Amino acid sequence: MFPSGRRLDRATALFISLLAVGFLLATFDVRSSSGGATTVLRDGAQTLAAPVQSGIDIVVRPVVGFVDGISNIAGLREQNERLAAEVRRLEDRLRETSALERRVAELEAINDVAAPEDLATVTARIYSAGPSTFDQIRFINKGSADGIVVGQAVVDENGLVGRVDLVTGLSARVRLITDPLISVGVRVQDTNQTGAVTGRGDELLRLDMFDASKPVREGAIVITDGSRFPPGVVVGYVNETKAADVGFTLRTTVDPSARFAELDFVKVIVGWSPLDADPETGDPLIDPPSFTDPGSERQ
Amino acid sequence: MTGGKIVIALGLVIGAVLIQTTVFQYIRPLGYAPELGLLTVIAISRYLDAEQAMFAAFTGGFLQDLLGGSPLGLWAIAFTVVAFVTVKVRAREVVGPPAVAIGVFGLTIAGLVTYMILGTLFGLGIIGRPGVIWDLLVPAIYNLVLAFPVFWLVKIAIRPQERSMVR
Repeated sequence: MFPSGRRLDRATALFISLLAVGFLLATFDVRSSSGGATTVLRDGAQTLAAPVQSGIDIVVRPVVGFVDGISNIAGLREQNERLAAEVRRLEDRLRETSALERRVAELEAINDVAAPEDLATVTARIYSAGPSTFDQIRFINKGSADGIVVGQAVVDENGLVGRVDLVTGLSARVRLITDPLISVGVRVQDTNQTGAVTGRGDELLRLDMFDASKPVREGAIVITDGSRFPPGVVVGYVNETKAADVGFTLRTTVDPSARFAELDFVKVIVGWSPLDADPETGDPLIDPPSFTDPGSERQ
Repeated sequence: MTGGKIVIALGLVIGAVLIQTTVFQYIRPLGYAPELGLLTVIAISRYLDAEQAMFAAFTGGFLQDLLGGSPLGLWAIAFTVVAFVTVKVRAREVVGPPAVAIGVFGLTIAGLVTYMILGTLFGLGIIGRPGVIWDLLVPAIYNLVLAFPVFWLVKIAIRPQERSMVR
């Protein structure tokens, strides 16, 4: 195994030293504020690694897409028929909703509501993911040079993806809403009651409502309430109908609307900041869109 | 020549971490990816001195920390533990593919458990997450599948250095 007992001692001593260094690093990193030495280290590593990662990504992405395409050919015919039926159904639905959309637009104009689609955004592409199963992060190819700052919300065509938590000149790290460290203030669209959604890794999101007087039903749309993310962005859909327990607390799960396994292009909302929320109450200074009957309660 | 071996080993671990962050964001059967960095550390630790193996492992883990979302040092410790244990068990009189498979599976689990415990201690709450057993088992099984090609690649990358050292 080892040539001598002395060599074994050296190895063990080095092992213990490296463990100690690791613990010190972790403690220092956790205790240090943003902008400290560890942030500079991360920025530097990310800046160095980004071109290599982007290069690998450029090579790998088409290959994976081609293989995916080949493997999916068998199911394409069936999917095509299903989609044609879906298009017909949606066209019917669109005719019904266009009248409602006009009404909502009028109401938004009257109430001076900033809808998420009106906010300035920067389109970015994901080129890298976290290095382990436990990391719920993605890296995008836009950074501070494009106006990205820490705290901005990231969305895709389906809904909320996450929040920027580290920025370098040409890239940024996005922490997904599936990360247990992220909590999103939300509103259930059909009851207009608020709560918080917390990530649980690859599992469904958890929705906690602490003052729920009405039950939430399966399929109800959950949107951001505007406290730390721009108001009105779709977060997901309630997965299980639940009524409040004793004391009006309600806990259920939410299926996120963003498809994290298929993320490619995303938009960073640069035209809204958490500072747009009231610093004392946390309420949005921009009113979130109301989804109740407009004639009933909106002030 | 020993310096050459450590440089190659470092290159392999760093390459593995970069591949992990790019290729395996797309290739995720059942939603999981292998832990290529850990697997490469196991592979290089079969050929390096104990100190070299731990140094390469710590450096690779530190890079994984820098490119990841957890506090710095956690993957560095996990990689170092795996390298240390690999060096300890590599000279056992058990050889052959089944022994290698069991070893890779066990060492991957050891590395992931180390990270999970440290992550929980440092506030990431990993152990309490739902489905954490699968987070442990599935990457270990994928590492088992990838072990033989990765071991072969590491062998052909490091062995010439050993031969030139003998000369």
